[in-house]
Amino acid sequence: MSSDLLFKPVRELATLVRARQLSPVELTELYLDRLERLGPKYNAVVTITRERALSQARRAEGEIAAGRYRGALHGIPYGAKDLLATTGTPTTWGAAPYREQRFDFDATVIGKLEAAGAVLCAKLAMIELAGGMGYRQPTASFTGPCVNPWDTGAWTGGSSSGSGAAVAAGLVPFAIGSETWGSILSPAGYCGLAGLRPTYGRVSRHGAMALCWTLDKLGPLALTADDCGLVLEAIAGPDAADPTASERPYRYEVADRRGFRFGVIPDVTDGCEEAVIVNFRSSLDELRKIGTVEEVALPDLPYEQITRTILQVEAVSAFEDLIESGRIAELTAPEDRFTPYAREAILAHDYLKAVRLRGVMAREIDRVISRYDALVAPGRINEAPRLGQEFRSAIRATAKDVMGAVGNGAGLPAVCVPNGVGARGLPTSLQFMGRAWEENRVLDAARAYQSLTDWHTRHPKVD
Amino acid sequence: MPETPNPEAVALFALVANRHGSRLTSEQLDEIKKMVEGQVEMARALRAVRLTNADEPFQHFAAYRSDGVKQP
Repeated sequence: MSSDLLFKPVRELATLVRARQLSPVELTELYLDRLERLGPKYNAVVTITRERALSQARRAEGEIAAGRYRGALHGIPYGAKDLLATTGTPTTWGAAPYREQRFDFDATVIGKLEAAGAVLCAKLAMIELAGGMGYRQPTASFTGPCVNPWDTGAWTGGSSSGSGAAVAAGLVPFAIGSETWGSILSPAGYCGLAGLRPTYGRVSRHGAMALCWTLDKLGPLALTADDCGLVLEAIAGPDAADPTASERPYRYEVADRRGFRFGVIPDVTDGCEEAVIVNFRSSLDELRKIGTVEEVALPDLPYEQITRTILQVEAVSAFEDLIESGRIAELTAPEDRFTPYAREAILAHDYLKAVRLRGVMAREIDRVISRYDALVAPGRINEAPRLGQEFRSAIRATAKDVMGAVGNGAGLPAVCVPNGVGARGLPTSLQFMGRAWEENRVLDAARAYQSLTDWHTRHPKVD
Repeated sequence: MPETPNPEAVALFALVANRHGSRLTSEQLDEIKKMVEGQVEMARALRAVRLTNADEPFQHFAAYRSDGVKQP
């Protein structure tokens, strides 16, 4: 099997699979080999699902040969963040206390991908408990820190760390991650990938570890924004097992649009590294070729405090049993073993104030964002932190992230794509955030940007 | 001159220390004290925004039936 296949977008692989020029079984074996051989180098993998993968691949091959082609993901390998329940393998949530945990059902997303004919090759590494306990360092996982394929001295970002590493290293063509605040956009941005955070409620959370019931979203990391759309169509939709999953149908529609209207928050680059600012300005120049860019002021609200309060209270409640039992002391990162205790001092009155303010925030932001196709901003404030480095975080209030606070607090979709490299040669990124349920608009914009640039065609040397 | 501790932060930290102090080290308690001070600052920003009686919590609640019948 040719290594030319590596780093081909899902859409191109699908064309070859559909035309029977590419065998799903051989493609799966190629990626399984890479997961086994290179996965440990990046600490990207928790469990390789070889038997399940080959069984699904053989079935896909037979169906396609019989003329029963299911769609763009049929016969395409992928990996899933290890917070998604799967039968037959552990689901560890990245955390030592849960390393033997097993479920006897598949998460809805896993089931939907199976129905689309996709091939589950691996459960991917993640920050313990999706980072909700307040981690400060890349080592906060019982499988060790995820290593960035662009620089083995750098981190991938988190908490969907293995999802970022695996796609960037060509170990799978796409992966599923989750985001409560930053956990898809961070590894996608640091690893030079496209990452899509869907609207809250677009994708069922059933079978996914709950960190924050009103903030958790599942979405894809892939090589292009276009691939993210293909994956979203497969995993979106209603689910009786998750009452927050919307009945609203979703179909990924590719429109070759121009004439976009982009908004930029005036101080959105505050705190960013110099190279991030320079690359963002270059991106705005590109965006002016396909639309207008104008400054837009947001109403004065404590966005970060609203979302942070909700996140901290929900996370400590979701893991009440672990915390109260003292088993939290078994977590890997020292700070994760005690930070949640502090959150018990957040008063109910203040939590409810945050939830009431969330409504004000959602209405105000919709009023602003409805005038634009997307608000744009740097995807991350910096290049990937070094592995041994403590990093800044909006969740801990050591960094600013108004876009993340608004987007996650109000449940808005965002896609990030690579837009350059920084001083250390690592990827920087650009994010497009849109109105609720407008994934197609932000994907249109990101695809149009990627049609003008070639950052997404560059890949690290990994062998 | 050292800053005067915020009395609210002192009281809330005492609550945490009282409940969980036996399983925490003095270094961890020192860190928690700083976190509680940060949380009080976070709450101050929330409390500074005035809301009206009509500003409800932004989350949905629905009465439940096992047969799946939803609110009309």
